[in-house]
Amino acid sequence: MMIGLEFDILILIGLTILLGTVGSRLFKKFKIPQVIAFIVIGFFLSDSVLGILNKQILSSFSFFNIFVLGVTGFLIGGELKKEIFEKYGKQFINILLSEGLLAFILVTLFVVLIGNLFFDNSHFTWALGLLLGSIAAATAPAATTDVLWEYKTRGPLTTTILGIVGLDDGLGLVLFAIASSITFAITGTKTQAISSMFLHILYDIGSAVGIGIFGGLLLSLIVKKISDKYGIITFSLGILILILGISNLFKSDILLAAMTAGIFVTNFIPRKSKEVFELTNELMPVPYILFFTFFGAQLNLKNLTIPIILIVIVYLVGRTLGKGLGANLGARISKAPITVQKYLPWCLFSQAGVAIGLSILASERFPGEIGSAITVIVTTTTFIVQIIGPLSMRIAITKAGEAGLNITEEDIIRESKAKDIMDTTIPLIYENMSLTQILKIFSETDNLFYPVTDKSKKLLGVITVDHIKNSLMTSGLDAFLLAYDLMEPVIAKAHPDLPMLEVQEILSRYNLEYLPVVSSKDEVFGFLERRQIARKISTKLIELQKQAESLG
Amino acid sequence: MELKDYIEEDLISLLKGKKKEKILLELIDNICKNKKLNNKEEIKKAILHREKLMSTGIGLGIGVPHIRIKGIKELIVAVGVNKEGIAHYETIDNIPVKIVVMIVAGEKEHKLYIKFLSLVVSKLKNNKIRKKIIKAENEKEIYKILSS
Repeated sequence: MMIGLEFDILILIGLTILLGTVGSRLFKKFKIPQVIAFIVIGFFLSDSVLGILNKQILSSFSFFNIFVLGVTGFLIGGELKKEIFEKYGKQFINILLSEGLLAFILVTLFVVLIGNLFFDNSHFTWALGLLLGSIAAATAPAATTDVLWEYKTRGPLTTTILGIVGLDDGLGLVLFAIASSITFAITGTKTQAISSMFLHILYDIGSAVGIGIFGGLLLSLIVKKISDKYGIITFSLGILILILGISNLFKSDILLAAMTAGIFVTNFIPRKSKEVFELTNELMPVPYILFFTFFGAQLNLKNLTIPIILIVIVYLVGRTLGKGLGANLGARISKAPITVQKYLPWCLFSQAGVAIGLSILASERFPGEIGSAITVIVTTTTFIVQIIGPLSMRIAITKAGEAGLNITEEDIIRESKAKDIMDTTIPLIYENMSLTQILKIFSETDNLFYPVTDKSKKLLGVITVDHIKNSLMTSGLDAFLLAYDLMEPVIAKAHPDLPMLEVQEILSRYNLEYLPVVSSKDEVFGFLERRQIARKISTKLIELQKQAESLG
Repeated sequence: MELKDYIEEDLISLLKGKKKEKILLELIDNICKNKKLNNKEEIKKAILHREKLMSTGIGLGIGVPHIRIKGIKELIVAVGVNKEGIAHYETIDNIPVKIVVMIVAGEKEHKLYIKFLSLVVSKLKNNKIRKKIIKAENEKEIYKILSS
């Protein structure tokens, strides 16, 4: 059912963003991570279905994919503070080696086993097995972190996931370089000495780290001297894109370079870097929609033959088993918290940019059967794990109790309503209460503002500390002054279901310190005081922080 | 702050009514007529509601009905005197009220309103002044006493 219409590129981008947003909201209702919605929409727009996002359009966006991968690497680096390496360093290495190597070994063996049934050439199957095995070691950082950010997670499992997805790209590269060299040797395409192979790996990693440190240092020195948001975000993006461009030019690992820059910045200017990463992160929702939709559009069902489908299946089984068992083993060896041992195996299934990148590299290095088989297998398996991975990860992080612990003051305000924050224990002052009775209430509670009501609790006005002060400064009135005489009129009031964002907007629009919360019949439900709102939110933040710390 | 800054001769009257509600209405009429106010019903409702919550008969023969209300731009003071005394005003000491000072202020004039109330009460608590006011023959004389 291909439409095959030619769309203006801006219409396509606009359409993709809109469909992605609508789809993710729809999927959210079923508790499915938004990444999956983007990929599924991409698939429907692809050559396999509607034919709107064709190969030509997708290839013109390759620079954009590098940008998104680079920013993701930079943001992951930003999470890897010195203290995290000190605390989790050993754990990271153990888990990384066991999950990466086990996935590599199992995928290689399974592919060779199945390959031998269909192909006569054992060299071919071994080459295919080794290359696919090395690609299987990497985990997708973008899809993984997108789920972590969407569900606002915090805790040892989150930290371990971030560390592992950041580092196993490096492991994947090393394994791919080794597998490539062996493939060259056994297929007789090109002979390459072991020493030159390692030099190549060393160059890939060394140059990426070098470029990352240089970019990170430059960014830190500049950001240190500026304080405006506009300056911070423009310098950050400018330097980050420069890092990506230089890495591309020198054929270094882009993700590693960006991640190194992130690690450098977060450790060199810890306080200021917070703003750098927050502002960069705020820019990402739209690029992520495009990135994953374009990815979903890459799947082409026409290339799937029976042997390829079988290899896809064994690749998935081998990788899932390898990553799962390996992660569990590594976590046990390093005595990681129980939540990490139990749930990390379910969080490392995603694969994307790095795997696709390596498969493209493989098709360039080994043109012909091996190259094209790898491209089809990696694209198909990536499509499948990108659907399964985020879903299993969402369940795991929720079960580990880490979802919703990484929220900011703005998140609490955005997600709360007046009824969630309001003070319901505030004493009511009735209109016929005398000054003496009012003073008693003031002395027993620490509020600065009190609602004045009639007998049926209908809001009439508000008494403030200032009113009481004025009355005390005069003499001879205390016997006959009532709340009715002292109250001030209500300028604005809120309904219990009014979002806190609107409450804040009302408070600042009228320059108010308080806002009574009333029913549709004007009965007082509760009271919001500016200082109490701030106190309640900071208490909630501290509670969540403690909860995250208690997990390990 | 002084009483003379807020008292106007036109808003002083010798009250004809003998009952609380009637004299309150007399004073409200006087205020609305002189100040050309068109929210008489609102003022009346607020004054009567306040009296219902607690009588403004503060003792010593003084009544100080007072309200703050939307739409009033200045502090308005009306004074009424009834030489025979108003029965059933409900006062702390059960002495019939002879001097009534009605204060109508703007909704947001909280500080001025409380200060003025205090000033009126302290002035009228003076025995001599009260006696002079009750003895006064006409409005002009009352105005003079209160302004001095």
